[in-house]
Amino acid sequence: MAKKITNNIRKLRFAADEMSQQTLAEKVGVTRQTIIAIEKDRYSPSLEVAFKIADVFGSPFEEIFNYQESEVI
Amino acid sequence: MCTMDLSNRDFSYREQGLIASLFVTLIVFGGYFYSAFTKLALNPAMPSIAELIFVVILVIVFESIMQIFIRLKNTSQSEDERDRLIEKISYKYGYWVLSACTWFLLVQLLLDATFDHLTVFSTPSGIFHLLLLFFVLAEVAHFVVQLYYYRRGF
Repeated sequence: MAKKITNNIRKLRFAADEMSQQTLAEKVGVTRQTIIAIEKDRYSPSLEVAFKIADVFGSPFEEIFNYQESEVI
Repeated sequence: MCTMDLSNRDFSYREQGLIASLFVTLIVFGGYFYSAFTKLALNPAMPSIAELIFVVILVIVFESIMQIFIRLKNTSQSEDERDRLIEKISYKYGYWVLSACTWFLLVQLLLDATFDHLTVFSTPSGIFHLLLLFFVLAEVAHFVVQLYYYRRGF
């Protein structure tokens, strides 16, 4: 078992009036493809981008990002 | 699990640009090297400057046309930290390819000189074409690695 960074961005986007990936990308200052990659846990953003995402949703950092055990296949 | 999601055809602006660059490099330089290496055994003369300028102009023209077309098609052309990271990683692989190929050439030249058995690749024209090929291979690796990371992610 290895630890990996996961996130709840998709859930939070839908909770925030179904915010689109493009809107979130523009607010954070990254491309839509980067938001897609982060949501699918394919890319771990920098601390700066992670804090910007937390800022957009107005949620604490640890509510959005988790560092937890996951199965390695 | 790390898998390539080839079913996702939603290529980003950067990916489209990379595919175009890879396509142009493979077509133009592929044609050039096919012609150069088939002629090399018969006529190991250095290529003319005009011939090389023609190849460079072909690459610039095709690349410009394709990049303009891609820019017109895509409204969002921004670059972010992920793009820069992927580019940085791809340069590392490009360097490895160039480095490995250059060592291969150095060892071959050393062996040719040691055993007094000059192959066609030991001629100035042969060395020139091999070095050019290695630079192009490094560039191709640079494009392919970027495309791979864009599809697979980190």
